[in-house]
Amino acid sequence: MSIVSGYSFAFWVELIFLVTVIVMIRRARGGMKIPEIYKVAGLEAMDEAIGRCTEMGKPVHFSPGIGDLQNAQTLAAMSILSYVAKQCARYDTDLIATNRNVIVYPLSEEIVKQAYAEVGKLDNFKPDNVRWISNDQFAYATGVTGIMFREKPAANILVGAFWAESLIFAEVGSIAGAIQISGTANTHQIPFFVAACDYCLIGEELYAASAYLSKEPVLLASLVAQDWGKMVGVLLIVVGTVMVSFGSNALKTLLTK
Amino acid sequence: MKKEVPIAITFILAVFYVVANYFTGSPFLATVKDRLDRWYLVVAAWAVLVGSINLCQIHGRRISQKREGWVFSVWLLICLFGMMFFGIFIAKNPSHPGWTFMYNQLIAPMNATVYSTIVFYIGSAAYRAFRVRSPEASVLLFTALIMMLGRVPLGAMLLGGNQALSQMADWILNVPNAAGMRGIQIGACLGGVATALRIALGIERGHLGGTGE
Repeated sequence: MSIVSGYSFAFWVELIFLVTVIVMIRRARGGMKIPEIYKVAGLEAMDEAIGRCTEMGKPVHFSPGIGDLQNAQTLAAMSILSYVAKQCARYDTDLIATNRNVIVYPLSEEIVKQAYAEVGKLDNFKPDNVRWISNDQFAYATGVTGIMFREKPAANILVGAFWAESLIFAEVGSIAGAIQISGTANTHQIPFFVAACDYCLIGEELYAASAYLSKEPVLLASLVAQDWGKMVGVLLIVVGTVMVSFGSNALKTLLTK
Repeated sequence: MKKEVPIAITFILAVFYVVANYFTGSPFLATVKDRLDRWYLVVAAWAVLVGSINLCQIHGRRISQKREGWVFSVWLLICLFGMMFFGIFIAKNPSHPGWTFMYNQLIAPMNATVYSTIVFYIGSAAYRAFRVRSPEASVLLFTALIMMLGRVPLGAMLLGGNQALSQMADWILNVPNAAGMRGIQIGACLGGVATALRIALGIERGHLGGTGE
């Protein structure tokens, strides 16, 4: 058994990153002070958006994107859904969670149901509000458009993996007059969300959401490890650029090993 | 136990998949990975049934209570069961001419129609984003103008055949835009790995209905 050709460097980097995350988590459990995390406007606005719906007596719409469960963005979206569902349950606000992926749909339903159970309001859980629309990308987009126009949610939360439907959702939400919080790591959709939504979680902010919202030191510790990883990435880019500029391909060769 | 068992299964499968993706030369790993991938497909097929039941419940209630737009719910259920009936009992395989007709003449044009509406949404989103309200919006407007004029023949025509706008648009796209995009991608990749680790180690439990430890 050997490492797949071209994957060696990635394997060792991932292993070192794993060790760093574990070390940071252990230190957080041991009571180490976690550096302050900068304020993410989109996440700070999450409660404001839900509060707006509560005041207006209108529902919140949540979409976890169109990715499947193998996509880390969808898993990050599920964590945010858990938080949003709990807040909605707490303030008796309807939450409409729409899904495109059939594997994600039962998970969404379970998360929302669990959230209502955790705040002791399981009787308020409406199974009809967690909906599977269609497996087809644009049929899903059409379904969400219909919901936005018919049920007029006052908040539109779009977090997860989005592709071409992102702008349809964001613009329809804007026309419906909803406060909009979006987030994706799909770089080609970020400009659409930035242009059309009130708040946008850009790239890694989506993955940091669950740690940020829960404010648990152990989860926040992993964000610190993530930032160290970024610094190493930047260092490799700078060193690589300098080395290639001086005619050395040593780092390039190492990375592709 | 309700959470410990899923966390244990997640950890074991996560370690297995990492090993199976990084290492080669073990027939056992390849066979088990292939088997697990097939299980995923079976679970996905059953999930379609769960999703269809959800659709029937929601739209069935809408029809029985005669809520606004209930006629569309009837149409949806006719299409759902019509396609299902045709696929299972008449077509029986995806290359059946009736099946390909429905895909090519109904589903594909409808998808194309919805996709094409994006152009209008781009127009309205751009109008809001490019309004000069702040220095940042002014930079955005200026950059967008160069990009748009640099991508169509009108730009070169306005400059008497000079390709300067096109070259500027290429530079914006390939240098500052690519640098920004790659920065976001590196952060997102690390974020994805960190999220995967948190889930594999059972620290992040949002997907199980809890917010953490």
